[in-house]
Amino acid sequence: MGVLLGLEGEATDAEVVRAVLAGDVERYAVLVRRYRDRYARYASRMLGSRDVAEDAVQDALVRAFDRLADCREPHKFAGWLFLILRNRCFAEKRRRQRQERPLDSADEMFAAPDRPDGDYEQVERAHALERALQHLTPEQREVFVLKHTEGLAYEEIAGVTGATVASLKMRMHRAYDRLRELMKEHL
Amino acid sequence: MTTGYHPLVKRLLDGELSLAELPPELRAEGEEALHLVGVADRTPVALSPALEERVMAAVRHHAASRDPVSPGNRAWRWLNTPRDVELRLRVRPWTVWAGALAAAAALALLLGRPAPQPMPGPQARGSTRDSVLVRFVLYAPGAHRVAVAGTFNQWDRGAAPLVPAGRSGVWTTTLALPVGQHQYAFVVDGARWVVDPGAPAVDDGFGRRNSVVAVTAHGAQL
Repeated sequence: MGVLLGLEGEATDAEVVRAVLAGDVERYAVLVRRYRDRYARYASRMLGSRDVAEDAVQDALVRAFDRLADCREPHKFAGWLFLILRNRCFAEKRRRQRQERPLDSADEMFAAPDRPDGDYEQVERAHALERALQHLTPEQREVFVLKHTEGLAYEEIAGVTGATVASLKMRMHRAYDRLRELMKEHL
Repeated sequence: MTTGYHPLVKRLLDGELSLAELPPELRAEGEEALHLVGVADRTPVALSPALEERVMAAVRHHAASRDPVSPGNRAWRWLNTPRDVELRLRVRPWTVWAGALAAAAALALLLGRPAPQPMPGPQARGSTRDSVLVRFVLYAPGAHRVAVAGTFNQWDRGAAPLVPAGRSGVWTTTLALPVGQHQYAFVVDGARWVVDPGAPAVDDGFGRRNSVVAVTAHGAQL
């Protein structure tokens, strides 16, 4: 069964998934290009390192290909891939905790961008926030990243994580208190 | 020891209140909190351009290491894939009536026989060399539509509808499945996923359960 597709941008996720499942393995590159950077910021903020995030995104994309036949709703490939990446990020954090290698001590910690106005204090505070985020629980860090970095509403976060809005708010509010404690020298 | 933020300040951070809506004594705390979350880095993160090639190299390798599809298997899939076909017939009216009467007589004979008790879980019915006929049964009284979707039909919830056995609430269908292990679930009324109560189930890794059937050349095994 062949699926004829026009320009890459016109093919829906579901069309590409069906083409790949029908044997057109090369079509998977369309999904790789479409999602490789979309979730990179989430993974970077969750893991505290761009390089570790790149490994996580790569693994998630390969794992998604391996399990593509299990994707019940191909039109929701993006959300399905996000769950795979999310599991991968949580597993990586647990692995690091077991090995007592917190990512914020790694040399590869990514830097906050330089501000054109040269506000050194602002840059320092951004660095401090990135370090502080690594001291939150993975669940608290995730809700902070999705809300304040990715700009999602609580209802949208509930949709992608499966948690209730009430529990997300509770996590977020505990995270605010913890961040205030961790950032007290920068406030 | 720094104390936590006031609940109203947390609502400010959540975007549910504005700074002006805070009581005057909480505005300084509110401004401090806004400074804290305001430095969250929202710049996009670009990954290495080589990532795509690395993923595709792994994908090609994984695809090549899977069992190749035999020509016989491919031909069977082609024969077994449902297609829309338009038929145009020229008939004399009496042949239509005769056919309808014959069908009604056959139906009356069938309904007159005691219905066999359906067994839960998929059951092997017969086999060719590469595929086995597997019967799926679900007791779903009150359902309007039931289908079975799984790895064998790319989880297409419309590809394999079950047929109701009268008004008994039992729905069945028989599919030719290739030899191998398959995961599946029933889809009731187009939306509700139901695992097969007569088959083992596994976690799909995303918080849902899939039923499993292992098809061998000798039949289906649960």
